[in-house]
Amino acid sequence: MSVRALWIISNEKGESVAVKYSRRYPTVEQRAKRLAGSLYVGVPEDNTVLQLLLTELGLSDPDKPYMALRDDCLHQPRSPALEIHVEGPSGGVIWPMLAISQGPLILACLPLVDAPSEFRPPLASLFSVSQGLTLLAGLLAFLLGSKGKPDSEGLATRLAMLPSVVLQVCPLGTPLDIPQPGTVATPTVPTPAGTQKQPAWKTGLHRGRAVVNVALSEMVRSMQYGHEHRQDLWDVYGTVTCKCEVEGVLPNVTVTLSLPPNGSPLLDVQVHPCVSSLDASILAAMSVEDCDSSAFSGPYKIPFSPPLEPFRLCSYTSQVPVPPILGTYQLKDEDNQLHLTVSLKLHESVKNTFEYCEAHLPFFNRNQIGNVEVKVTSGQLDVSKEKNMLVWVLGQRFPKSREVSLEGTVSFSGLLPGPKDPLCSELTAYIKLYFRVPDMTLSGCCVDQHSVQVYSSAKPRIVTSRELLSSEYYIWNSTGNAPVSSGHSLL
Amino acid sequence: MINKSRKERCTKSTHRLSALLEVGSVSIMSVSWPERISSFMRSPSQFMCSTTAEAFLAEILRELRDDRASDPIKVLLLSPLLEHPTLLCPSVSVGEETALELMSVFSQCPLKSLVLRCHLLLALTSVLICSSCVNSHTSACQDFLDLLFQMAQDTNNVQAAVLPLRATACDCLRELEACLPGLLSQRLELLSNLRQKENSGLHQAYTGLHTLALRNAVYLLTQREGTGAGDLKAVLASSEGFVWGERADTASLDMSLLSALTLGLMGRVPTLQTGPDSKELRSLLSSLLEDSYLLTSLSQAALLRRLVEILAMVPAVSPTIFRAQLLRLLGTCEVCLLHVTLLMKAAFTDSLFSAEDEAFLLKRLVGLSQHPLLSTPEKLFYIDCILHFPENRPISCGDGDESLPVLFTPRLATALVPTLFNDSASMLARFKLLSLVYLEEGAEDQDGQGGRGLAYLYDHLTSLLRIMENQGSREMVVTFFRACFLFLLYFCQVRCYSEDLTQRLSGMYRKQTRLAPHLINLADRTQEHLDQSGWALALLKSLQRTITEAPLAQLTLQDLRWHLRILARVAEEGEIPQRATLSFLLSVITSSSSVLCVSGDWHLGASMLGVCRRLLLHPSLDSLLTPLADLLQHLTCHYGDTDIQDHARLYYTLLTTLSREKLAGVMSQGVPERGRQAKVRSLSAIVSETEELTGCLTVQHTERTLLALVRLDSREPGHPEPVSKTCSEAIPGGSPGQEAVDIEDYKAKLQSFNPEITLQYHLTHTGVHDPRLTSSSAFACTLTSQTGATRRVDQGTEAEGV
Repeated sequence: MSVRALWIISNEKGESVAVKYSRRYPTVEQRAKRLAGSLYVGVPEDNTVLQLLLTELGLSDPDKPYMALRDDCLHQPRSPALEIHVEGPSGGVIWPMLAISQGPLILACLPLVDAPSEFRPPLASLFSVSQGLTLLAGLLAFLLGSKGKPDSEGLATRLAMLPSVVLQVCPLGTPLDIPQPGTVATPTVPTPAGTQKQPAWKTGLHRGRAVVNVALSEMVRSMQYGHEHRQDLWDVYGTVTCKCEVEGVLPNVTVTLSLPPNGSPLLDVQVHPCVSSLDASILAAMSVEDCDSSAFSGPYKIPFSPPLEPFRLCSYTSQVPVPPILGTYQLKDEDNQLHLTVSLKLHESVKNTFEYCEAHLPFFNRNQIGNVEVKVTSGQLDVSKEKNMLVWVLGQRFPKSREVSLEGTVSFSGLLPGPKDPLCSELTAYIKLYFRVPDMTLSGCCVDQHSVQVYSSAKPRIVTSRELLSSEYYIWNSTGNAPVSSGHSLL
Repeated sequence: MINKSRKERCTKSTHRLSALLEVGSVSIMSVSWPERISSFMRSPSQFMCSTTAEAFLAEILRELRDDRASDPIKVLLLSPLLEHPTLLCPSVSVGEETALELMSVFSQCPLKSLVLRCHLLLALTSVLICSSCVNSHTSACQDFLDLLFQMAQDTNNVQAAVLPLRATACDCLRELEACLPGLLSQRLELLSNLRQKENSGLHQAYTGLHTLALRNAVYLLTQREGTGAGDLKAVLASSEGFVWGERADTASLDMSLLSALTLGLMGRVPTLQTGPDSKELRSLLSSLLEDSYLLTSLSQAALLRRLVEILAMVPAVSPTIFRAQLLRLLGTCEVCLLHVTLLMKAAFTDSLFSAEDEAFLLKRLVGLSQHPLLSTPEKLFYIDCILHFPENRPISCGDGDESLPVLFTPRLATALVPTLFNDSASMLARFKLLSLVYLEEGAEDQDGQGGRGLAYLYDHLTSLLRIMENQGSREMVVTFFRACFLFLLYFCQVRCYSEDLTQRLSGMYRKQTRLAPHLINLADRTQEHLDQSGWALALLKSLQRTITEAPLAQLTLQDLRWHLRILARVAEEGEIPQRATLSFLLSVITSSSSVLCVSGDWHLGASMLGVCRRLLLHPSLDSLLTPLADLLQHLTCHYGDTDIQDHARLYYTLLTTLSREKLAGVMSQGVPERGRQAKVRSLSAIVSETEELTGCLTVQHTERTLLALVRLDSREPGHPEPVSKTCSEAIPGGSPGQEAVDIEDYKAKLQSFNPEITLQYHLTHTGVHDPRLTSSSAFACTLTSQTGATRRVDQGTEAEGV
């Protein structure tokens, strides 16, 4: 249930790769040694670990096209656990090294295999693996900060805080907690010695006006091919984020999600560990099986006792009957220039008030854009600064007809070559849509202000909001060879 | 806090250490502590080159006692002890002395120095456990345990400031119990009370400590003869001292105490027969479960894991006590909580999980394996969980191999088909999973073509191939070949696909010769794993055809380099006719348009000779004699590089004068490739073969360093620097810094008026004795010189000597 060592590596482009922080747990190492017996392989020094890890991750020697150690096809890195091959007389294989990377950071830890050494147990049977994954994900979130993207200054500050953070969350190799990203801004007081047990995940108590903030955010993905043999795909996933400033050691709050009368049920519901109980019917519907029309479709009551910091109360997926924007895209290659025809139609059920709506038409494996003769029925068309993409700004509203189109020709007579993409060769091309519609969800899911119940003395202020965002929203050129994105054709 | 006797011992040890401090003070340079500590932590071995562990430890301890040093510096000073205690305290006695020192520092530390005090406790735990003081049950250890227990029990002090110290004390106690299982097995009642009474967030630390001690205590009971309900009751209510017991001897320690008990291997868990009467345990476990919600996810999962183990050992308590928590756990978004639920299922199967629960859990895993909100490592972990799904009634014997759960239908699997939008690891994980699904599906297929699923996988492979033809990234290329290998591993027998793949790969090679090393690697691996299928041979044959049948006019030098690598690999196959290869080489080298011979590129020449060398070993050599001799002769006479000419001449001579068997013997010496080592044989036909003689006449490989090249440094002739350890290693070695200086020197030399570099080495015997080597052994010395990115192995300088 423990980790033997922990590493934080920065891998910024242009800069050298370096171990920024490492922590070894010698008492855990001692147990590892006793358990492994003669097969024990010690953890090498940081620089060696770094090199071996980069090789396993396929990141070492980026200039060399082939390296047997790194690129052997026998080696199948398809699990979160890597094998590290230590050379030398005391060498051998170190397993299971867990590594996660995001942006410029690589985080790794080596969980203890608490099994006798005669056989290698399946990864799924090692409890320390999920503990290690949770710890790494927590540390990563802490290091990346609230924005989810590291700014070098903030990162340096948080890296400097690591020794004290690790002292708290993993003092002797057994992960106890994950660090809280950011500090809690609201006034809190340490717990008085009361009769009620304080949750270990709550560092203090809130004092002051009770405010409950529930934000529902839905993301819609789509792959539209405009092809009779290829089914268009779209789905929705949503998250409910809460920030609760409520007094009491263990205050009770209930949030109820509800759907319109014939809305399709929420699928794959996952909840935060602070949710105190769940009804089986809430969990029953799942996206991987055919939806039963008689399935439970709310209201979804979620009782919980909130932590002090903002948290994701729950998430779900949903299969909605129509995509919010249905599009077609057609390209024709005519004498070194492309003829484009695009049409986009906003579905009538979607509110026609966008915060923003843009269509990006990137062009790969061609020279820079030269002449553009394109007309749009609505919005404004620009060529990106790099001259490799058309940006169609549709603004806040679709016209009354809810349909917009684009037609014209683009030539690629620029002197410089544009960006390369192995997927988008020849006529394989896409439009990617970016939009946000405030105060609506595609699934129809909503949190009514009055349905939020807080069992505390003071009457709380309750704020709810919802939004629809695009995510991975592609419309493929129907005259090209679009890549398959799901196994739907097999059904 | 420290009693009198301990104080005395501290003073004594201070005296003893003061002698060391003298030594230490000498090496204190102007370098600041943060720099020194970080240099130690970066590489302890390198740091120890400039000082000794003893001196460094003494310095650290002295600085820790220095009142002028700030707390952050002292915390920093503790990190070497915290992370590398075995290096600094290699023996029990040093560990004991260091621990006494640290305890003395702790006792004198002001109460407000909370962080330092916490670090001191952690460092003490590390030192005592790792220097084996705990196993020897030294007095320092006893004192430290008393101190920890005292702090853990100090519940009257409710000031928020001391809470972290109490939490740390509990963590230290838990670590001690983890390394010395059973240590706290007679203090369960006290621990239980502490846990129940604690209302601050600290109850989590007590819970962790209590459950681990309880788990170990129950296990120890199962190991005693004839224990029952009464003994369990007594243990739960025990409030005695620490149990050092026979644990002092680590060798006798039962490994099960350290390892997880329910590793999916039910039946091996020892059980305690308590009869139905175990209500004390039941109520204790219920109360632990009730409060589990108040713990952080990580600690909650750890608690549940321990409880699963305890319940597995005490069958009298039904696992249904978990039922109330189950829905909450099944719906969780935390990977550690869902994982512990799976482990729970593995331990209790249908006594806790119904068939519906099982179906739900599996579908849940499939959903999570492709959930857009989850990180890649989490998704990969869930796919792994599907492959090791703990079924209520498993069909396979559960030997840890990957297998598909019965409920994992092809319908469910479609959610996890690999697509071009996946990252490499996810794509391979999905490819493997789906291969297993369609392997079963294909077995039921009548026409042997595999079903639509297999067609999908093959389509995916060809899509990847298309991407590669569009200059896909290195990562894409590597992933494609891995996917190819997986596909072949499962579906090599499906002819329509494996033959088509061969064709496509050859076609791809024609366009992208740079992929040669990947293709060779794929051929090697499929040959190792699917020797029967003959697929690798077919691929190599097809590649040979691709190379030899292409019009020569379009051949570029770069292509030729890759072709030669492929042809060399093809030449290793006895079953592949080599005539085409030879005529290709001959036409390349003799064609009128060829500038190859004139240019005299050493690398190309060497690659060409590499093919020839393999052909010399080819079983069909007799039929290749004339063209091969022609080729070698042409190289000897016309190639523009003397070294290549010499080699070609040597091969020509060997080919034309030696018998087949001797030739094979000579050529196969010392080149074990990819494990296909040539059969070791004596070359002498004059003397009859004895074992000793065979030993003398064959090349021996040794792990240890027998000979060393010692560089004669012109600047400091008195101190020869050992450069390379084994005769197989590259020269020069040495430190990277030194290497950089050398390179600069050489560069300056080469640009000077007299561009000549003299390297002087002594070849010395290291004194290592190897029984296989007698005084009459012959050694071959291969010199390798490296220029820029290229590396030249000069085999022509083999020197033999007695």
